[in-house]
Order: sequence, then C-alpha cells, then structure tokens
Amino acid sequence: MIEILKDPLRTGPLSGRAPLVVPTGLPRPVREHVGDLEVTGEALREAVQRLFGGSLRLRVLGAGSCNACEGELAALLNPFHDVQRFGVDLVASPRHADGLLVTGPVTRHLEEAVLRTDDATPRPRLVIAIGDCACDGGFCRDSFATRGGAANVLAVDVRIPGCPPRPSAIVEGLLTAIGRATVRAAARP
Amino acid sequence: MSFEVDDVMFPLDRALRGIRERFADAVIDADRISLRERTVVVPSDRLAEVAAAVANEWGGLFLQVFALDEREAHGRFRLHTSFSMAPEDAVLTLIAAVPGDAPRYPAIGARLPAAVWCERELRDLTGVVPEGLPDPRPLIAHDGWPADMHPLRKDFTLPASVSWAPRFRVPPVEGEGVFEIPVGPIHAGTIEPGHFRIASTGESVLALDVRLGWSWRALEKLAEGATSQRGLEIAERLCGSCAFSHALAWCRAIEELSGAPVPPRGRALRTVAAELERITSHLGDLAGLANDCAYVVGAASFQRWKEVVHELADALFGHRWLRGVCVPGGVRVDLDDTQQQWMRQVVGEIRAGVSTTVASTLANDAVLDRLVGTGVLSPEAARDLGTTGPAARASGLTLDVRRDHAYGFYKELDFQVVHRTAGDARARFEVRADEIQESLNLIEQLVHRMPGGPLVQHLGPLPSGTWGFAMVESPRGLSSHWLRFDERGRVSDWRVRSASHALWPAVAQAMQGDIVPDFPLVNKSFNLCYACCDK
Repeated sequence: MIEILKDPLRTGPLSGRAPLVVPTGLPRPVREHVGDLEVTGEALREAVQRLFGGSLRLRVLGAGSCNACEGELAALLNPFHDVQRFGVDLVASPRHADGLLVTGPVTRHLEEAVLRTDDATPRPRLVIAIGDCACDGGFCRDSFATRGGAANVLAVDVRIPGCPPRPSAIVEGLLTAIGRATVRAAARP
Repeated sequence: MSFEVDDVMFPLDRALRGIRERFADAVIDADRISLRERTVVVPSDRLAEVAAAVANEWGGLFLQVFALDEREAHGRFRLHTSFSMAPEDAVLTLIAAVPGDAPRYPAIGARLPAAVWCERELRDLTGVVPEGLPDPRPLIAHDGWPADMHPLRKDFTLPASVSWAPRFRVPPVEGEGVFEIPVGPIHAGTIEPGHFRIASTGESVLALDVRLGWSWRALEKLAEGATSQRGLEIAERLCGSCAFSHALAWCRAIEELSGAPVPPRGRALRTVAAELERITSHLGDLAGLANDCAYVVGAASFQRWKEVVHELADALFGHRWLRGVCVPGGVRVDLDDTQQQWMRQVVGEIRAGVSTTVASTLANDAVLDRLVGTGVLSPEAARDLGTTGPAARASGLTLDVRRDHAYGFYKELDFQVVHRTAGDARARFEVRADEIQESLNLIEQLVHRMPGGPLVQHLGPLPSGTWGFAMVESPRGLSSHWLRFDERGRVSDWRVRSASHALWPAVAQAMQGDIVPDFPLVNKSFNLCYACCDK
C-alpha cells in the first residue's frame, strides 16, 4: 500500500490537481467550453455551507441511461475531483437524500420505479436531470419505449446537458440547482 | 498435411462438409456471401439439430440468433443463426424461414444453452416462437405487455393501453428455511437498473434469477428508417463504457457492405481509440473490485489512473468517452507526431502507476481472501453458455476477436491473448490487469508504426438486399452488429448482440454455491453493462 501512497505523500493530495497536464502548444481537438472545477467547486462549497449546513446529499437514479452519465457521476468522487471536499456526496438511499440526480430518458419500464424512488425522497428535494437523455430524451426522445426525459415524469429543477456532461459541467449545474433552491426557499411564505 | 490438421485449421470446411453429409436431405442451398461469412439455408424444423452439430461437433462458437420480419415481401420470418469458426477467420450462418402465419420452430436453446437468451428476446420482439425452450419466460417484455405486442415486427403499432409497470413471475424455490432476497431494479449505488432475485438458505445461494430489460429503449426499432449517420449516433449511445466499440462495429458493418477498405492510418487510429477504451473500462472494473474488497487505497488509485486515461482521450480525440471519433470509412480525428510522442510518454506513466496498484492489490491478503475461489465459472460452463471476453479468458477459453477475426490494425501488431484457468474472481481480476499492460503495449507499437496517408475512405451508395456483419472485441468481449439497408439507403434492419448479453447468464451460473455477501463481488468481477444488453 505504501507504494501507492508514496506519490501523494511526496507531492501532496491529488484533490484539485489536474489529472493530466497537456503541454502548451500541443494541438487540441475542437471541444466545448470546459469550466474550471476548482473555481466552481469553491463557490459550491460556500453555497452548500450556507444552505445545507455543509452537507448536500444526492442519490443517483438511473432511468435508462447508457451508463456514461453514471461514469461521470462516479468520476466526481475520484481522487482528483473529490467533490466530497465541497460538502457534496452520493448516498445509497433516496431516504437519505436532499435530491435526485436522474440519468437517462426514463424508459417506460422504469417509470414506476422512478416515481417510487422520488416518493421515497424526503421533501423538499432537488431533482436534477443529468445528460441529454434526462434533459429532453436526447438521441432516443422519439422512441415509444421512453418518456422523453425526466421532466415528463418528475418536476425537474435543473437540467445539465451533455453526452455525457463533464464532471466540471455537473459541478456547475449543482451550483445552479442550489441557486434555484435559494429562490424557492425565499418565495416560500 | 493430414485431414486432422486440415480440420483444426479449417473448421469451416469441416462443418460445411459435415452439414452436406449428415443433413443432405435438409440443406437447401449453400452460398458464399462474403470472404468471411458462409451461409447455409436449412429448414426451420431441422435448424436446432444442425446448430447443435455445428457447435458440439464441428467447433463452431455460437454468436447469436435473431429473427427478421419479411412477411410483407415473402410471407415469412427469417432466422439468422451465426457461429464463429475460430481459429479460422470465418463465420458460418444458418438461415431458416419460418411461415409468417404460423411462426414456430424447435428452439435451438433446447440443445444449446448459449442461445436461450437470444431466443427469449426474439420471441418477445418478433413473436416468432421457439418451442421447447428450457426457460420460456419473456426477456425484454415485462409481464404487462399484451401477448401480441412485438415491436420489431414491421407492422407494429403501439397498443392504446400497455401496462408498462413490471409484474413478473420468478421461479419458486421452496423448502425449509429458504427465503428470497429481491435486489433492484434501483440499486444502492451509481449503477444501472436490473432486478436480481436471490434464493438462499442462510448465507448459501441456491439460485440467482436475473431480470433485465429495464433500460430497454427500443433502439433497434428506433434505427429503422434512419440514415447511416443517424444510425451511428444511436449505435454509439447503446452503451457508455463500450461506446467506441459499438461505433466501430456499426461502421465496420457498413464498410463490409460497401466493400471499401479503410485507409491504414484510419485503422491504426481506430485501434488506438479502441485500446484506450479497453484500458478505461478495465481500470473501472479493477477499481470496483478493489472497492468491494474494502481495499479503498487501491480503488482510489485505479480511479486515479482511469481519470488520467479519460483526460488523455479527451486531449487527443476531443471526448472523454471517445464518442464522435469513428465514422464509416475511417476516423474523424488525426494525431500528429507531437501528440503521438506525448501519448507515448503518458502511456509510460500509466503503465508504472497501474503496475504498482495491481501488485499492491494482489499482495493484500484481505483482497485475496475475498477473490480467491469466489464466483467460479468452470471452463465447461463458460463454453456451454457462449461466454466471451475477459470472463471467458479467465475460465481458460482463449478467445479474442482481435486475434480470431482480426480487424483494425491488430493483424500487424504483436500481443498476447491473456488467460487464466481458475475461473474465479481473482482470475477475472488478473486477466484484466494483464490486458491493460497488453493494451498499453499495443498503443506504444502503434506510435512506433503509425502509417501515413488519409484518415477516411469515401464510401459509395450502400447496396440493399444484402447485409453487413461485424464483430469487435469490446472491453467486455465479443459484440456484433448486423445491418441491412433498403433501396433508399435507410436502415431496414439492425440487430446487435453485446458481450454483456452473452455474459449475464454466466453471472447467475457463477453465483451458484457461493454466499449472499459475495454477490456484489461476483457481479463486479464480470462488471456487465445493462444498457447494451437491454438496448
């Protein structure tokens, strides 16, 4: 085990470090804007501290995704992104969750299970659609076997598009979601 | 050269000879349709017999069986049953017609267990009934579907009322002290949906029943009438962790149809991307196994290197999951010399980091205590169930599409087909760990030998009436795509069989005799996809 730990012990924890330093001047393929996870993450940490007592707990709800969105959600917890340091964690039960992260277009076969998972989540809760399929059905919105997105089944607060969305985009979306929660809380009599 | 050597080297000829001799009264026609695939037309009532002989006597490895609705043009359904004739780079396909008004035939699954899931699925989706299946329950259809709802029929329209809510029967397991543990479809983790029913007495598992189909998006139906570009978008989204493999299989099926060769540089870059995908996927599997053995430091380290490979893919190809890289005729993204040299440097770092983590994990007694002897899949069961990929190789079957039906740049490269014989969770761990090293070797060789020239070959119009068929070695094993276009150049039929579809029955088999607390570990040691199994 010490062999694995030697590197982080010498150079400090991996949290917040870039997984890979791309040399300047190296040609890069065209891709969408990539936000800085550290900057957004710090803002997220402050918001979670202020509104959720420092702990935002979310439950991943796979509703017929291709598993790439799950892959990126799992990557949020890897040693580089380590979103737990911002006070965000993924929990095993909806009963322990402040919100749901829905992936996939909501297949007809899963609709009841999705609704029952939502029922099991204590109110108030956030519902966040992760990825193009959950946002609006994505590439399979025309399929009769899906409901064409989470919003057709649940009250979605925030959509985080992407196929799949990058970890930094998910963190940005979480920040937006918390902003919405603030507005809702203020509007409550 | 004696006949025996011929038979080993050329099992296709042996099978064709055998079919002509033994089934002379039955075989209607034999025809070569492509360099790799030979077809034999057999009457549907003899199909199961011929299929069993091909698999059990003449060395054929069952690939798939599916049904096509040709009632409008010919008043029939058409069954395609394919076998890999490895080590010969050949495929043998049995074609049978089933009458459109009375679609029944004796099930292949009654003789070949590997065919059971395919036949359960084809009955749900096309309404063709394989008679005598050992497990006649629906696979994709949940019990709320009307009996006459078969979405892959050409005249399918969605009935006004379908009860989509899952209601299904599980085989009763009875006896003193027997109880059932239902798991899922929604699991307590960042995992896809599936339902498992474990029958146990105390800790000992008596039987595991796997009910999938939850992620069924009807993608094969969605692709009907699509352009080849739209079809690629769908194929690439069948599955996240095998996205590139499915895109590659789709494109290769199209290339087989058009007959246009992919330029060498396109083939080489595809091979780089395919190996990056394999490394990513295997690292995720190893992380999951280490995590389930409570070796958190090892799991975090595997996650670390997985993220590095994702970022490498992103920096080189513009997508962390390698979507949008493969196109019919070649690839869309080029790597120049500086990029290739940098890739080689990063590959060296990944190799060192992963080797350290693997050594540390396998030196940990607590890990070995969980992995050794857990979830054993015997070589016989692995073969009977038609398993593939790292799971098959961990049970002693040295099958690998990259070698047996070489594509991409693999024929020009040097690599080992890694295998183990124990068939337990440790063997599956070790096979993946060694395969990561092989994949890194392959990438280094590709940098060394990168050919010049164009990336893409322009493909002409696609012929209708015939089909394209392609197999790839996805991270989980053999995945195949079968494609046919109509006169307008739109997809008329598309059939996919992913490695996970072939491997799920093996998970149930490997759990027998194990204990309930090992279920997550056994499941993780296969680490199958749900999405590309359900489609």
